[in-house]
Amino acid sequence: MVITANLPRWMSRSCGALAIAGLVVLLPTLKLSASVLVSPTVVFVTDKNPTGRMTLMNLGDKDMEVNIHFSFGLPVSDSLGKVRVVFQDSAVTDPRSALDWIRAFPRTVIIAPGASQTVRIMARPPGGLPDGEYWARIMVRSQAVANKVPRAGRADEIVTHLNMIMQTAIMFKYRTGDLVSNLELVGATATLEDTTVTVMIDLENRGNVSYMGVLQCWLRDNQGNEVDFYRANIAVYRGMRRRVDLSGITTEDKLPFTVEFRISSEERTDVAATDMIVGNKISYSVAVE
Amino acid sequence: MADGVANGPSTATVLTMITATASQNLNFGQIFGGTPKSMGYNKDDSSAIFTVTGQPSAGINLELILPEYLSLANGSARMPVIFSTTDAAIDTTTVTPSTVGAGNGWINRNPHSLPAAVIGSGGTTKLYLGGKVVPSVDQKAGSYSGDIVLSVSYTGS
Repeated sequence: MVITANLPRWMSRSCGALAIAGLVVLLPTLKLSASVLVSPTVVFVTDKNPTGRMTLMNLGDKDMEVNIHFSFGLPVSDSLGKVRVVFQDSAVTDPRSALDWIRAFPRTVIIAPGASQTVRIMARPPGGLPDGEYWARIMVRSQAVANKVPRAGRADEIVTHLNMIMQTAIMFKYRTGDLVSNLELVGATATLEDTTVTVMIDLENRGNVSYMGVLQCWLRDNQGNEVDFYRANIAVYRGMRRRVDLSGITTEDKLPFTVEFRISSEERTDVAATDMIVGNKISYSVAVE
Repeated sequence: MADGVANGPSTATVLTMITATASQNLNFGQIFGGTPKSMGYNKDDSSAIFTVTGQPSAGINLELILPEYLSLANGSARMPVIFSTTDAAIDTTTVTPSTVGAGNGWINRNPHSLPAAVIGSGGTTKLYLGGKVVPSVDQKAGSYSGDIVLSVSYTGS
């Protein structure tokens, strides 16, 4: 696995490039006809260092045209606890939107097979922003250059060609002033139906940054034996209802069941420690109804 | 400790990345005027295949932007293309379009509203897509094209 650890900034960048090269080797064997790797998946910048960097690498065997534009879209949940991201390219009124004051350099690039390209993301925020975090999505749209050339068909045939365009939405976070990461547990329920326990967890962000953490759930029988376990990275920007389905119940498991869950921002391994705003921990248990 | 070997703190960060690949185009083959042609998501050599590689088990959001019609390069004619509510499947175990089942992810899904998904435990998830073209009786011959856009994002960051 690729690791960077407490290195000088210039060395981290070099290792980052090497790390991506290593990742390429580690990737499963794919038909990489038109493929672009994007790293990192969150770009953090601050008022003191308002320029972020992102690396794009063409893993395929064709020239790829890559376009960068911006959008706005936060993970939100519905009443069933399913998390989605809905993108909005214009008329964004969210006061935490950074959409109007970030730029990418370059915005369009053609990357040869095996080559990589660094893209800088620069923030020029308006003055007087309240402390906290501001967000946007960096949309990395890629397609094979060959796809843009119309295909000729025989004069008497009807044929089709569908251009496959991939778009990766990377989170952008700009931070300024005093930052607070604080998550409140608003409520939790656990219900058993057949052999599945459905846990609904309602959360509310009380800080001024997105709460990035790890949600872990344990389903236990009345002896404390672990029946099932779930773990997921979560990001809570405002309110969120999170659904977790736990299963694996057998006739040998003893009622009643309990679900224990823990949310902590200290267990994220996918975000550099220097970029983490460590927040509170939540531990809770709920009886299964 | 041997000379020249430096040990640092053990805290480590896995470098995150995401890779999106257009692995196979949706291919309707030859089309005849007046005869609609369907292609299921379960055709190994003809269904569209998108491959997403990233952090194992991480939650992802998949969103397709689909064309309503395909058109000739000069814009002189167009042909409707339809994506029904069961034309997509998401495969987190990387089997094949023809063998994907409910136990491999999500099947018979609406491509206009894909379910919340995850990267497979092996680090890869595939999206299979079918569709239908509806040529008119007097459909002009030629090569019709359109764009299918797949947006991918992590939901946990």
